[in-house]
Amino acid sequence: MTRIEILQQLLDQGFHRIGQIEILRAESLASPPPCAYLLCHEDDIEDVQNASGQPSGFSESSNPFDARDISTYADDGEYRFTKGQINLKRRWVMHLEDITALHEAIENFYPSNFSLWLAQQRGTLEVQTLRDKLNRQTGMYRFARSISNEGAQRLVQRVCGPAHQCAKKILWQIDADTPLEDSEASRFNGIGSGLAEPHAIPLLCREACNHFVAECRKESKKEFEAKAQA
Amino acid sequence: MPITAKPQAALFIAGHGSTENPDSSVPYFDHADEIRKRGLFAEVHCIFWKEEPSFREAWYLTDCEEVYVVPDFISEGYFTQDVIPRELELTGPTTTVRGKTIHYCAPVGVHPSMTQLLLRRAKEVAPDVDPTQTTLIIVGHGTNLNPNSTKAIKDQCNLLRLQTEIPYAAVLDTYMEEQPFIADWHTLAETPNVVVVPFFISDGLHSYQDIPVLLGFESEVGAAASQREVFRHNPHELHGRKLYYSSAIGTERLIADVILDQIHDFDQLHSNTTHDTH
Repeated sequence: MTRIEILQQLLDQGFHRIGQIEILRAESLASPPPCAYLLCHEDDIEDVQNASGQPSGFSESSNPFDARDISTYADDGEYRFTKGQINLKRRWVMHLEDITALHEAIENFYPSNFSLWLAQQRGTLEVQTLRDKLNRQTGMYRFARSISNEGAQRLVQRVCGPAHQCAKKILWQIDADTPLEDSEASRFNGIGSGLAEPHAIPLLCREACNHFVAECRKESKKEFEAKAQA
Repeated sequence: MPITAKPQAALFIAGHGSTENPDSSVPYFDHADEIRKRGLFAEVHCIFWKEEPSFREAWYLTDCEEVYVVPDFISEGYFTQDVIPRELELTGPTTTVRGKTIHYCAPVGVHPSMTQLLLRRAKEVAPDVDPTQTTLIIVGHGTNLNPNSTKAIKDQCNLLRLQTEIPYAAVLDTYMEEQPFIADWHTLAETPNVVVVPFFISDGLHSYQDIPVLLGFESEVGAAASQREVFRHNPHELHGRKLYYSSAIGTERLIADVILDQIHDFDQLHSNTTHDTH
């Protein structure tokens, strides 16, 4: 099956949420607009439904690649460096003509996530440990690799998970033999809405993000300075 | 140079990206959009070192069995010669990895067709200047760590000197971190008009923030590109000259053509060669 066919099958099974995005079928609206699917923020569903997809004061788009522009900044102007952040802005609606456009839109709102989920379902997803990620860093980030396992474990609890604005399910370990310690961040299933599969698919973190790498660098520097003072 | 449509193949545009500067990846997406519009490939994706999707996630993005990878980088160097091949598991110009045939092209910045884009950008930023009274300065980063990083600029400047379409009085290559320094532009250029084009892919920290300070028309490093209007105040009257400053050459949408040129050249060069499998 192609990925479009799999997405169609998933929709037929009830899939309608990814991250903070709701997928609405146009035909489900009282006065269906001339498109196949609509996307909106999960907190705007009611407004979009009540206005049959054209709520007043919302920006409208039919280009799936506009997902990038919508998802670059949060409402407060913060740069969303990872799209797993739970601060997607509101008050926009996307009208998509077919399932191919829907696929493109969700892959741009959450870059590669549907592809990663698909690979996970197919058993072909390779997860990268934190040590592998850190050992490949260059330039000033090379020093990130010096972080201790204990420091990295603390950092996961301080940086990752919904409490720290990231809604991705962490798949990686510190290294092949060192799983993450149990915490809210390590337990999180990647579905912030509380829905269950197949109504939602999780956001997946197959490798530590570059923000986490930058935090590792800062932490390893602190560890180095603490050792020097001891 | 037109290329044959490749409806069975995917194109990956490989860029650096940034976790701090949202403007950094805009050009890559613009180039991808431009190529997508032309319908030459089954799929066009951007992949990044610092953003999502990462180079290592590229495999999962496509079901196509043939993929062209073009580094949207301004020069050959550490990223194009070490990082991208390592991350994508490439061992030669064409490698079969995980059942996919990957063609690895040269970076955009080293292609001769960049010369026309540089001329176009210089003309746009200073349309009414007399070229015979104007010095065109191409500014790059420069680093003593990698001699390849300046080669692309030197090559382009040589081509710009040879062209006769716009007869600039002089064409100079300058750098932020090695000689000749861009900060010395007013002693290097002898003409009343000076046009400066940054040889970078994006309007990131260097072209928007650092170089304006080195040129002298900004007193301190300012906000990110999209927050400011650095390029709308030309010309700057400095040191008795008229200084025209353009945005980074990589923000030119027609870099899409250079990406296609690199694919065309790759096909010409490697049409009969064997490839590695692992």
